[in-house]
Amino acid sequence: MTQQTNKLKLSAILARHETVLLLVILLEIFIFQSFGRNFLAPSNVSNIFRHSVEIGLLALVMTPVILTGGIDLSVGSMMGLCAVAFGILVKQYEMSPWLAAMLAISLGALGGMGNAFLITKMNLPPLIVTLGTFSLFRGLAEALTKGSEAYSGFPEGFLNIGNGNFLGLPAQLWIFFAVAILMWLLVHQTTWGRSLRAIGYASDGARYAGISVRFNTGLAYVIAGAIAGLAAVILVARLGEARANVGIGYELLAITAVVLGGTSIFGGAGSIYGTLLGYVAVAILNNGLGRITAHQIFDQPIASVSRELSGILTGLLLLVALAAGVILKSLASRRARRQSLSVKPTNT
Amino acid sequence: MKKYSREWIVAGALGLLMLSLALAAPHFFQLQPLLSRVTSQMPAMIVALGIAMVIISRQIDISLGAQFSMCAVIAGLVAAQGLPLGVAIAAALGAGALMGALNGLLVAYLGLPSIVVTLATMVTWQEALRLWQQGRLLNLPEGIQWFGMSQAQGQATVIGITFILLIALAWGMKNIGAGRAIYAVGSDAEAARLAGINPKRTTFGVFVSMGVLAAVAAVMNLVQSPQIQPSCGDGLELKAIAAAVVGGIAIRGGRGTLWGVLPGLFLLANVNPALTHFHQPPYWEKAIQGLVIILAVVADGWNQKKQSKG
Repeated sequence: MTQQTNKLKLSAILARHETVLLLVILLEIFIFQSFGRNFLAPSNVSNIFRHSVEIGLLALVMTPVILTGGIDLSVGSMMGLCAVAFGILVKQYEMSPWLAAMLAISLGALGGMGNAFLITKMNLPPLIVTLGTFSLFRGLAEALTKGSEAYSGFPEGFLNIGNGNFLGLPAQLWIFFAVAILMWLLVHQTTWGRSLRAIGYASDGARYAGISVRFNTGLAYVIAGAIAGLAAVILVARLGEARANVGIGYELLAITAVVLGGTSIFGGAGSIYGTLLGYVAVAILNNGLGRITAHQIFDQPIASVSRELSGILTGLLLLVALAAGVILKSLASRRARRQSLSVKPTNT
Repeated sequence: MKKYSREWIVAGALGLLMLSLALAAPHFFQLQPLLSRVTSQMPAMIVALGIAMVIISRQIDISLGAQFSMCAVIAGLVAAQGLPLGVAIAAALGAGALMGALNGLLVAYLGLPSIVVTLATMVTWQEALRLWQQGRLLNLPEGIQWFGMSQAQGQATVIGITFILLIALAWGMKNIGAGRAIYAVGSDAEAARLAGINPKRTTFGVFVSMGVLAAVAAVMNLVQSPQIQPSCGDGLELKAIAAAVVGGIAIRGGRGTLWGVLPGLFLLANVNPALTHFHQPPYWEKAIQGLVIILAVVADGWNQKKQSKG
């Protein structure tokens, strides 16, 4: 009985959370459309997603990590390392970009395995492990490029992934759809996804229930690393250049999208569709501000402002989303307690 | 001896590095450059003390670099108005306390995870600073550098203040109730609460102290040069966390002494000069720092496993 009411409550909250998020997105669209220029033009809409697919990919794979109650701060640095490795393989070893892309993704998976080993086998806190690899991966990328070298001049066919269209949509969007469907299947339709929630909710309880906590948790980090490698390849294809500073700060945007999407930062609850909504909100915010400033709602033209302003707003949005989550939860539990008291007044 | 073995191992490693430098590159130890290098590490030392307290209370603060930059720019702007140095310092300290209080409020009283809160405040302050200053170098008026004293006196003052802070905080953490409360909350917040400590207030206080120490560090950095960069604190958080973790502050909270921060910081700070003095390219610095953090955490985990097995 109580289980059922809890479940109903939870779904009510989730529904409300996602409705709120949809409203936020609609509000963003309304504001940017009325103040900006051509915001809803098809070319701009496809631009929004072309320029933020990498963040969406990271957010998708960050979701299972956060579901286990962990975090991966190293995905942005991993992008830098994979981008540099890709550039070196293609330009110095004259490898085909497709093979190099496969190797870059494998390198990402390998780095994710390193994180997974330290976190699950050595039983170390994910936060500090990935803070260490955050520095290590970026440092390796800088060392490999001697701080400043960049690789460019990739073949046309490869660059099309980043700049071309396929069936009327940006080419990289199809890769994103494929990964999104894959992650949705994994998180919502398999025992793996279910066990992630169990682990995030109570790791010891999951272990007593016979779930392999180490393997299931570790797999989330390996997938995160591999998809970070994929995101790096896509970003290189769009920029036409592989540098060590690729993907700086992307981990924050990805975490923001996941948390905005209603996944609990403490683990145990969350969804892929929530993450997709969160990603859309973050992506629109980052693009829409560019539109506003181009339209000069401020007195002077401040084209350079948009990036900083969207950074500030992303940070604030994340804080507000976190605080709202906690406050809503405590309100709901208070209401539930009051209700259970009124139903059974004799129960003390 | 056993209790402090980690600090001694790190100090020993530092000694070995110094010894090999003494043999391979004796000019590393010329007095004036050495003194300048030590002085330039003092701001990092001060924030490392702050983050050590934060980690002991089982939290983390990665916004300290952004707080540092913000305080430096605020102090610099106040000083550039022609106001006395004391006012500039007070403004920086106030700003640091406020930024720390915001983190503390969100973490202690809303119960949000400190890593995400400080990640968000880090980006917010960093980008706000970029928007506000557009990366401009800020020229400081005469009489700010070295507090208006000679360079030798100024360096002595900076080093002196830092070591007074180190001694006072390390002593206070062991011997004052508020300091013991930080250890108690870090090892087990619920037990601390049952013992009559207010964990929320303690956590809040730790974040405010972190902000104030970031401001002190920013001032100690400000007086060392005639100009100030709005990005001067970028990456400082990693350096400080690495120094604390290498110095034996347990990342799971509740254990470690502030004394360990001293050898921890100097070991990491000497990676770069050692690379140049051994004629190696300096690009490896970040990778080595990351590796050192991971090694320190792994060593921690091992120790804990050994202890729990008895």
